[in-house]
Amino acid sequence: MSPRVLASLAAAGMCTLALAATALSGCAQGGGEAVTLWHAYGGDERAALEDVVATWNHDHPERTVRLVAVPYDAFADKITSAIPNGNGPDLFVYPHDRIGDWVASGLLEPIEFWIDEPTATRYARAPLAAMAYRGSLWGLPLAMKSLALYVRTDLVATPPRTTDELFAMAPALRARGVFPLAYPVDDLYGHAPWLHGFGGQTLDDDGAARIATPEAAAAAAFARDLVVRGVVPRDADAALTATLFNEGKAAMAMSGPWFQGDIEDGVPWRVTTLPVVSATGRAAAPFLGADGVLMSARARDKDAAIAVMLALAGDASATVRATRARQLVPNRAAYDGALAADPVLSGFRGQLEQTVSMPAVPLMRSVWTPYKNALASVVAGAASPADALDRAAGEIRAYGEAPR
Amino acid sequence: MIVSPPRPPVRAALRDAGVAALLVWVVLMAAFVRARNRDFAARELARAEAAAQAVARDEAPLHPTAAAGVVRPATAIAGYPYLKRRKVVRGKVERPLGGPSAPAADKLLYDAAARFDAAGPFAALLPDGSGRAVAAVATRRGPAIAVTVEPGAPRGLPWLVVIGLVGLGAVLAAAGAVAGRSALGVGVSVAVLGLPAWTWGGPLLAGFALVVALATMLAHARGATERLAAGLVAHRVALSFLAPAAIAMIVLVLIPFVVGLGIGFYDHQHGSWTCVGLDNFGRILAGNGRAFDDPLNFWFILGVTVLWTGANVVLHVAIGTALALALHQRWLVGRGVWRVLLIVPWAIPNYITALIWKGMFQGEYGAINSLLEGFGLDGVSWFSSWATAFAANVATNTWLGFPFMMVVALGALESIPRDLYEAAEVDGASAWQRLTHITLPHLRPALGPAVILGSIWTFNMFNVIFLVSGGKPGGATDILVTDAYRWAFERGERYGMAAAMGTIIFLILLLWTVFGTRVTRKEREP
Amino acid sequence: MTASARRPRVWAMIAVYAALAVATATVLYPVLLVVKKAFEPGRQFALSASPIPDDVTLDHVRALLGARGPDGELAFVRHALASVVVALATTVVGIALACTAAYALSRFRFPGRRTALTTFLVVQMFPASLLLLPLYVLLHRLGLLNSLTGLVLVYSTTAIPFCVWTLKGYFDGLPRELLEAARVDGAGPARIFFTIVLPLARPGIAVTALFSFMTAWNEFIMASTFLTDEGKYTLPVLLQSSVGQFSADWGRFAAGAIVTSVPVMILFYVLQKYLVGGLTAGAVKG
Repeated sequence: MSPRVLASLAAAGMCTLALAATALSGCAQGGGEAVTLWHAYGGDERAALEDVVATWNHDHPERTVRLVAVPYDAFADKITSAIPNGNGPDLFVYPHDRIGDWVASGLLEPIEFWIDEPTATRYARAPLAAMAYRGSLWGLPLAMKSLALYVRTDLVATPPRTTDELFAMAPALRARGVFPLAYPVDDLYGHAPWLHGFGGQTLDDDGAARIATPEAAAAAAFARDLVVRGVVPRDADAALTATLFNEGKAAMAMSGPWFQGDIEDGVPWRVTTLPVVSATGRAAAPFLGADGVLMSARARDKDAAIAVMLALAGDASATVRATRARQLVPNRAAYDGALAADPVLSGFRGQLEQTVSMPAVPLMRSVWTPYKNALASVVAGAASPADALDRAAGEIRAYGEAPR
Repeated sequence: MIVSPPRPPVRAALRDAGVAALLVWVVLMAAFVRARNRDFAARELARAEAAAQAVARDEAPLHPTAAAGVVRPATAIAGYPYLKRRKVVRGKVERPLGGPSAPAADKLLYDAAARFDAAGPFAALLPDGSGRAVAAVATRRGPAIAVTVEPGAPRGLPWLVVIGLVGLGAVLAAAGAVAGRSALGVGVSVAVLGLPAWTWGGPLLAGFALVVALATMLAHARGATERLAAGLVAHRVALSFLAPAAIAMIVLVLIPFVVGLGIGFYDHQHGSWTCVGLDNFGRILAGNGRAFDDPLNFWFILGVTVLWTGANVVLHVAIGTALALALHQRWLVGRGVWRVLLIVPWAIPNYITALIWKGMFQGEYGAINSLLEGFGLDGVSWFSSWATAFAANVATNTWLGFPFMMVVALGALESIPRDLYEAAEVDGASAWQRLTHITLPHLRPALGPAVILGSIWTFNMFNVIFLVSGGKPGGATDILVTDAYRWAFERGERYGMAAAMGTIIFLILLLWTVFGTRVTRKEREP
Repeated sequence: MTASARRPRVWAMIAVYAALAVATATVLYPVLLVVKKAFEPGRQFALSASPIPDDVTLDHVRALLGARGPDGELAFVRHALASVVVALATTVVGIALACTAAYALSRFRFPGRRTALTTFLVVQMFPASLLLLPLYVLLHRLGLLNSLTGLVLVYSTTAIPFCVWTLKGYFDGLPRELLEAARVDGAGPARIFFTIVLPLARPGIAVTALFSFMTAWNEFIMASTFLTDEGKYTLPVLLQSSVGQFSADWGRFAAGAIVTSVPVMILFYVLQKYLVGGLTAGAVKG
């Protein structure tokens, strides 16, 4: 092929590619008057959110909302890096526990200015308070999430009310090759119900870490007990928990509202509250997370943004989301109608009474990995609970240190 | 030596002065912009402060304000401690601040009052990048707050000054050349830029200009610039061929690299950067204050990384070479098919491989444990102990990596002339002797660079470690690159520490490459 | 160890075939597992080690290819197109830049040549973690964040060092006399480059093209950092987001993995005979 032909082919090719690239890069880069909203929803939750936004866009063509789906794993990192650089969203939906972190970095806009009492009383008190930090309000709650007990009604006649009952179920079920309960045993989020049930905590009210306490050690020992006595699989992650539950190899699972999307058709199930810890008589209390819509400090049109925010967290939107996606919405009005009787929502609402709000303090971010390491070594028998938790406490201190 | 025709000295002087001046001007312009923006911001802050003072005294502010007033202390709504009611007073008029449809300007007052409550009087630029400033001053009734309006654009670049100085510099350089003191002329022409440098960047920048002037003067006097220019012209073809790639590399690799190095000297927490000098490096090299068998200790991770690299390279080379030897047998049937199949791991993207192997090593029901149980052995909880987790990582990476060594070895084997073997057979050498005296020595030169390359790739192999074992148990199987990643993304965005780790990794690999190439070069000599 | 026409011993034959068989089985087993998962119902890996599926379904493939984005368009096609565009553009840009640079380094002697060669080698050792944040800020300043163009630029510069070394090896091996003759005939350096050198170095260019394409096609960490909008994701990012920490759809992942790997594998096999030569030429002469 002569070089001339080659050269012109190459040039043509590059032009086409450049055009294609530009086209794919998206023309709506500038955004104009659209309010950009990032979310990490999938499945039904995403469909419900898209419905709500479509309704808004139809009613308000002069200030539309542009929805952008960002996968959950990378979401927080993208927010943290995009907003200071000026290419973040105007609004975004995320659980409340990163609020402290983001406020400390100056990424969020306080919104209590726009919220009056009638608006505030729309919501249950706890979820709204979860959106507050250091005396200001940073977002409006959209949904509440906590762990609860999913039960396969074909394998379990009556769910256990205490942990002793849970242990009692084990031999019969294990004989059939079934785990009584499945959940990620070394993850702090899954371990939290037992931790709080034994009277332990992660951070106290002042935001200081309280990791290496006798109650926490007792809870860690309990987790090891669960594995050693065959109640819980040793090495299950979220995906395997779903597999075991679906295939009937686990009779119960400890998971949150998102689990419903993972359960396959044909599996009979219901949701109920977690059992009481027999050793202390306290209910197992999982973390309460509130998904909220938050405003970026660099949002371009704050008036438009707050209007969208109020609509997203409004009663009409709440009803759509609760009906379509079974979200546990904090709006009191949503439960006036048929939703009050929904068994799944009632199951989660019952658990809500026994929850501990996830601390939103920045230090909390540094707690997850060290605690997970500690639990892993306790469950594997490689360290005693007290030693492992001491180590975790030391690591958390190290991460939180300011430079000299 | 090429003798070029004598140039008019004026041209040479202008050229050298021009290049040096260009260098200095780039820096000067940056300094100017910075100084201008700083002054601009300071002016806005002063205006906001003065306006707040005026409001405190119940007078009209000198410059127009977007919002101003005295904000009364907050009253909280019962049951909602984070929802506070505030009112603003301006003149005699008092009105509430807040509500779902309140104007945006009011929010500035509200937020400023909240900040005043938390931190006392202040003056600051608004974070929305509009250039406006807000100031809060204490009064008996509450903070007096003022927000300035959006300022116009700051003044533009001082083109007249630029043109004037450039002209002056040209005249000076030409005059010096004509007068026979071209070096002096060049030096003075650049040194003149020290004046605006002092204005815009203080003594440091003026010093920089003078240093550049001195250096140019000396270079010109010694004829260095002349030689450089001649060299550039002589090699212009080569350099123009090299230029596109070089520019791309400089902009997109070297500059980020230098910036990355620089970040290593800062600490980043919660969005604020503090310069800490060598502190990050010191901490890392001191092992973060942890014991030697603690995964947070740099030396432990380094040890794991070295072990990881060594184990992998040994296995890759051994398995690759063995399979290459097998494939090289002349009597082998279906060589093409075998080769196609054995290269499969190389063709599959490595993150997909890592995820698949992670699934296979899953403790309860993964394929590996199922196979073991099929053979009557007990399943192993792969990621609960260091040795088994490490083995899982190595197994995955070996699966991934042996095809590369196999292909290189095969290529080298095919280049060994057959008559060598025939001659050796005639001489009565056994198969083993042929292997050790002919085959292996010929493999070494080809494998040398491959080993260096492969060891570097393995040293930096993020995907396998991150996705297969995830550092379990407790971070003990992390290698240096995954640890650096965790500093950036899991321990509170400590970008400074991550960058410092990256620099150390780079230095280690640099040393290793230098050492390695020296060894392979020595081997090629005889 | 290579015998001539003489027949090898039986034990040697058995050993060789056994080794090859074991190696091939080990190589193919995980691949078969993934293929099995792509056609087996259920979102998680089945709890058995056999590579033969119990139940075959096209659901995953259908879900993968038929998923629709928010504007109603076929999402997978969009992602595949993004990957193709990025990979092709990277290949073109990478080759263009590497060819000229490798030619300069191979054919010309100029001061700083050694340094340039060493720099290209050294640059391959930069760990990505060191460059991610500065590149993010740089792309932001250039307005190229969340755009495929920015990705193409970054990938090209990642592929260049290896391409330069490989191509230089090829150019080094070109017969000097041919080029000398052309020069004597009065052809300028550009003409020599385009009409003589490039056609002769076709195998080397093929290797370079393959490598650039594979780098761009398989890369995921930079893509996931620089691209925010799910609509712009390339295939690796799409795949990796299918099996996140909290929700994993292994069926979709397996189907996607097969679709993502197949083009690269085909390309690989078509060009693999050049690959061996290219690597040894570049490595031995480098």
